[in-house]
Amino acid sequence: MKKRLPLKVSVSGVRGIIGESLTPQIAARFASAFGTYLGPGQVLIGQDTRPSGTMLKKAVLSGLLATGCQPVEVGVLPIPTILFLTHEKQARGAVVVTASHNPPEWNGLKFIGPEGLYLRRSQVEEFLDIFHQGEFTFVAAERIKSPLQEKNAGELHLEKILSRLKVRAIRSRGFRVVADCANGAGATLLPQLLRELGCETLLINTDLSGQFAHQSEPVPENLGELCRRVKEFRADLGLAQDADADRLALVDEKGRALGEDLTLALAVAHVLGKKRGPVAVNLSASMAIDDLAARYRVPVIRTRIGEINVVEAMLDEGAVIGGEGNGGVIWPEIHPCRDSLTAAGLVLEMLAESQKPLSVLAAEFNKYHLLKDKMDCPAELAFRAVVELRRRYQSEKISTLDGLKISWPDSWVHLRPSNTEPIIRLLAESRSAVRSRRLIERFKKEIKSIIRKLV
Amino acid sequence: MKLLKLNLSGVRGIVGQTITPELVIDFASAFGTMLPAGTVLVGRDSRKSGLMVQEAAVAALLSTGHEVRNLGICPTPVIQFLVRQHRAVGAISITAGHNPAEWNALNFINSQGTYLNEFQGSELLDIYHLGRFAHQKLKKSPAVINELNPEEVYFSWLSHKLRTEEIARARFKVVVDPCNGAGAGLVNKFFQALGCELVAVNNEPSGYFPHDPEPRPRNAGEVASLVRATGASLGFLLNSDASRVSLVTETGETLSEEYTLPVVAGYYLQQQPGPVITSLSTSRMIEAVAEKYGVPVIRTRVGQSALIQVMLQEDGALAGEGSGGVALRNFQPAFDGFAVMGLVLEAMAVQQKKLSELVKAIPRYHIVKDKIVCPPHRLHSLVAETRKLYPRAEVNSLDGLHVTLKEAWVHIRASSTEPLIRVIAESPSAARAQLEVDKVVAFLNRLLG
Repeated sequence: MKKRLPLKVSVSGVRGIIGESLTPQIAARFASAFGTYLGPGQVLIGQDTRPSGTMLKKAVLSGLLATGCQPVEVGVLPIPTILFLTHEKQARGAVVVTASHNPPEWNGLKFIGPEGLYLRRSQVEEFLDIFHQGEFTFVAAERIKSPLQEKNAGELHLEKILSRLKVRAIRSRGFRVVADCANGAGATLLPQLLRELGCETLLINTDLSGQFAHQSEPVPENLGELCRRVKEFRADLGLAQDADADRLALVDEKGRALGEDLTLALAVAHVLGKKRGPVAVNLSASMAIDDLAARYRVPVIRTRIGEINVVEAMLDEGAVIGGEGNGGVIWPEIHPCRDSLTAAGLVLEMLAESQKPLSVLAAEFNKYHLLKDKMDCPAELAFRAVVELRRRYQSEKISTLDGLKISWPDSWVHLRPSNTEPIIRLLAESRSAVRSRRLIERFKKEIKSIIRKLV
Repeated sequence: MKLLKLNLSGVRGIVGQTITPELVIDFASAFGTMLPAGTVLVGRDSRKSGLMVQEAAVAALLSTGHEVRNLGICPTPVIQFLVRQHRAVGAISITAGHNPAEWNALNFINSQGTYLNEFQGSELLDIYHLGRFAHQKLKKSPAVINELNPEEVYFSWLSHKLRTEEIARARFKVVVDPCNGAGAGLVNKFFQALGCELVAVNNEPSGYFPHDPEPRPRNAGEVASLVRATGASLGFLLNSDASRVSLVTETGETLSEEYTLPVVAGYYLQQQPGPVITSLSTSRMIEAVAEKYGVPVIRTRVGQSALIQVMLQEDGALAGEGSGGVALRNFQPAFDGFAVMGLVLEAMAVQQKKLSELVKAIPRYHIVKDKIVCPPHRLHSLVAETRKLYPRAEVNSLDGLHVTLKEAWVHIRASSTEPLIRVIAESPSAARAQLEVDKVVAFLNRLLG
């Protein structure tokens, strides 16, 4: 059988392997569909640091130009900065050439709609219909525009962040910070943000030539160098961005990687301490969020997985803070999107105001142990297995918003068939690592036995 | 109907209908797949669609792993010259030459700086049709180098090729209309280097064409009145990529674009005798000039690609056709509007003659051109039908149907750039030429219903 080409079209855009599945033809077709969908108007175009970025960007430019759009090239910038700028400049939308944390041979396109929000599911459907129908509204030659270039557009984003933080309080502390930008777009702005906040910095992996020093997910196993440097530099903390700079993980002053879900817990604690209001997080975020919300007597809205789902809930419910357990903090004061720069600012402000070291602030939340795992399972069987489990556990407290989440008083498990791969993702949280592990193993076994009966 | 024309050396169509980002990427990917590793030059004329096409073409060339030198708005002859300068493996010139503003085209140029020959052209089409392109993994991005003022090295070469001092001494006053095309603006540098006083119109590379960018008397009214008003020595019109030229005499007479070749040849063959290559559709004026220098005229298919290939094979001194495009062996194997303008001035300076006097030395023929819109799938069969009109005449079917009659010739051929049948007749008598054309047009119209 012919090898299946890895081209993934999903709510967050299209991703593929350069030279195999993601060709300039496909990029131009997506851009033509997007230009048709948006109609003539300003469209920002940015990119991450991957070596294939320029090639894809040019293909996208031709598609946008042919459909009468006015492209504005903003260069290499963090995704949250591009989302922010789309809103700030009242552009019709934006296209970002990026494959987030996929390996370097991948690249992709992310599509951003009006107001600097990712396309909602219904909008994605409309857009993909245009793509699949292949009928694009190319304009006559005399209505084709020329692309504009914007340099230093990121400054606006930094200005906005600084205007919402207690800059003087942070500056007075003179924090020592090690930042690992994962050779991603975050390197264009994080160092400047830290300078403005009066930090003494040691920067690692800030080279933008497109070679990644480590896998760009900010999970503890990728942060060995950062942990070592934090100790050597006697830093107050370490910051780790992913390649798109939407997620942030922390390393405490003892050089310990704190786990991505802690960033959200700290940000929620800090913001609720200043301003009460609803919190929105996805189903997989830690119970620590529920504890915090209970302490401040505010509601928690749990959403399906996917940034846009959290953002929609936040906008609908007027949430003051929210995000995802993967280090994605959303503070709508700046812009409703996951933003590692904003997250870094909030954490530094919290450190400054609390006068406590990070390890102490983190200790409050380390009573929970969140484990993630996955198992192979063909897509069709995965859905049937989840349906069967739902029947078996219907007397428990369950949520079927996205896969199946079963909650007990101090633990939960979340089972979710992947949209993009033939796997089931399993997450479990409890007060002990052993118990979380046991929960996961128990459900793996149960799913296997269900599948055996199904086939 | 959507118009898309493939010919030996390129692909041409209306922007947004057939010239779309994906089509451009497919063709440029096929070109990149065909070329060896190395640098490819990309330039365009001033059309508003040029950047859209350029971004698509550059994306494709990067994807096939080629370094790209981006020349921006740049005349095709300059691109062809720079291919050899940079030892590039090829180039794409984005221009629809004389076609109206809504058109655009990719013109593929090989490492010698000439349009693809028929073997290269058919290889390109085979790769395009197969659709399997050599997209690379791009572990490192190939560079895109933006060249500023790429024309400077070309102009410096050209001014050495021309007898610049003699031209300057003549203190010509020149009117030029680059039609806001790729030659716009550049003509200032060029004529300044030749010591000419310049009166330029439509001299912004804005892509707004005040008239069709086709150098011919119909579009020459403005130049003619400026020549008369300013007492200029002559006037020039350029097409959108500065590859073709037509002339206006010092009296304001707008010369047919057919005159460009014989006027240039009348001087150039003195310096550089050798066969003259021209197309079946081109005026017999060139025979008289060649006869004077005792050199043969070789007639071939219409189009720059075919003419240049024959010029290289037959060691021709020059090649050119009735469209106003002329290539000079000692300059470069390319239709080059700047070289042609320079040589016309040199001919006047060295021989101390006015343009009208150079023209007077050429026997006068009357050429009549007409065209009939025809569905693409009937083009060639209808041309073949016209054979019936000439049961006993001497015919040549190298390119459509060429008929030699007593005191006249007729050429009927399918255009390679548009869905048209072109009918051209020439005779010492204007009435006779018109009669021959009318006969064919009436016949074709009957067949088309």
